[in-house]
Amino acid sequence: MSSPLELLAELRQSSERRPLETLKLAAPVLNTGAAARAGDDRWLVYEQVFVAAIDDGDMDLAKTVLALLHKQFDGSQRVRRLYGMYNDAAGHPEAAKKLYDEMLAADETNVLASKRLIAQLKAQGHVAEAVGRLVEYVDTHANDFEAWLELAALYLRQHLYPQAAFCLEEVILQQPANHYFHLCYAEINYTMGCLDVALKEYLRVVELSTDNVRGFYGVKLTADRIRELRSRPKKEQPAWIGAAPQPAMLERLAQLATERLVAAYGGAGAAPKRAVEAWLSE
Amino acid sequence: MAGEPPKPDAKDVRQGKALMRGQILAQNSAYIPAAALAARKQYLCQAYEDGEYLKNKASKDQGPANLMADPKAMEAMMGGMKSQMMGIVPQTLIMGWIQFFFSGFILIKLPFPLGLRFKQMLQSGITTPNMDVRWVSSLSWYFLNLFGLRGVFALILGSDNSADGTRDMAAMGTMGAAGQQPGQPQDFHKQFLSLKDSLAIIYHEWDLANVEQRVLVKYGKQSRLFKSSAE
Repeated sequence: MSSPLELLAELRQSSERRPLETLKLAAPVLNTGAAARAGDDRWLVYEQVFVAAIDDGDMDLAKTVLALLHKQFDGSQRVRRLYGMYNDAAGHPEAAKKLYDEMLAADETNVLASKRLIAQLKAQGHVAEAVGRLVEYVDTHANDFEAWLELAALYLRQHLYPQAAFCLEEVILQQPANHYFHLCYAEINYTMGCLDVALKEYLRVVELSTDNVRGFYGVKLTADRIRELRSRPKKEQPAWIGAAPQPAMLERLAQLATERLVAAYGGAGAAPKRAVEAWLSE
Repeated sequence: MAGEPPKPDAKDVRQGKALMRGQILAQNSAYIPAAALAARKQYLCQAYEDGEYLKNKASKDQGPANLMADPKAMEAMMGGMKSQMMGIVPQTLIMGWIQFFFSGFILIKLPFPLGLRFKQMLQSGITTPNMDVRWVSSLSWYFLNLFGLRGVFALILGSDNSADGTRDMAAMGTMGAAGQQPGQPQDFHKQFLSLKDSLAIIYHEWDLANVEQRVLVKYGKQSRLFKSSAE
């Protein structure tokens, strides 16, 4: 039975935003003396609670926690950025922007402020401008794979698939063993129609992550589609068809995918299983 | 007094990260498709040669930056020298103190005889040519113990103990050396060019070339990998 502090630490690690859970976990920590006993961890908890509070709309709690942090870390850039976020959440984006601009004027490599400015543009719907700023940012900080991921997401919103694929390639270069990035890359390629790359990437996903359902769906879909394309007359086939696997191999891969998918849904009950089998047998 | 830490400059960061990007590409080129690698290779090689990412593009052919010209490097040097100055004062005082109080008299007689060559070592500061070498002056005794017992202290107290006085002297020495040679500024243009050369000769071996077979083997549909992935 993990203590609330340990669970909060896990949430920080996975950087998921789960405001309700965080607030529920943190309430006993804040109200009793457990916070003071936590030692230096408590400032991380306060920061976490702050973000959860503004996510949830509990501005009073956010203000209290922010005051505590400010008292301890006067003049800290990290705390200043939290002030900016507070202003953003409270509906004063201009005040927040002024603060971020100040932070950048003092130190032009301040990552926190740059990212907040881009997030503001995104939240206000200026996607094109956000993309421009983010491109500048990754030009300077080329090894920030999270920024590349964010840029890919923005491109996908605009349906700019080749650009998004480029960004995912940068991410994969930095994190080659993460199956989730290969999955995103595979899906972008599938959408673009580069099925040879898509198939290979889907296979990589199921290699890295056993019985990955999305991966196997991808394998089945691409294998079937490539087989279908091969059966078309020569002039209708796309340029990359020569590099794709032969029909026999595609058959084996599709069979494997079907089998693993049926096994994956094995414990799901009769109705989903029947639906999947019906779809798979088409 | 020691000065502020230097303000980070976006151009410096960009330079450094661009180098890292090239290195990562060289290292992980197997994980992206051939077309992706080709595009990046072409772009980066051209960019490195043009000095696209250099802090000061115009001066790329002039060799390593003249330290005097770069205000940031000047500040770094000055900072080092300032802290060195601060360190010198207490060291000077201590040495003077020791010289004053502990010179000019004999402290100990060694139980074993020694040759005349040791006279210089054991009787520093005392100018009596006839005195037996077995008498050791205080200053010499101080230095002897300082250096000699270092090993004994390390044995008994473990390394990194505070009884080791030579650490302070070494610190003074390194500060003096560092103040004079702040280290060669990295010549980014040269590094970019050498990275460009290593990128140019990369041979793409796509990690996913035989992934179909690997997956079939993983899920037990095939017993082992065959050399040719063509079916």
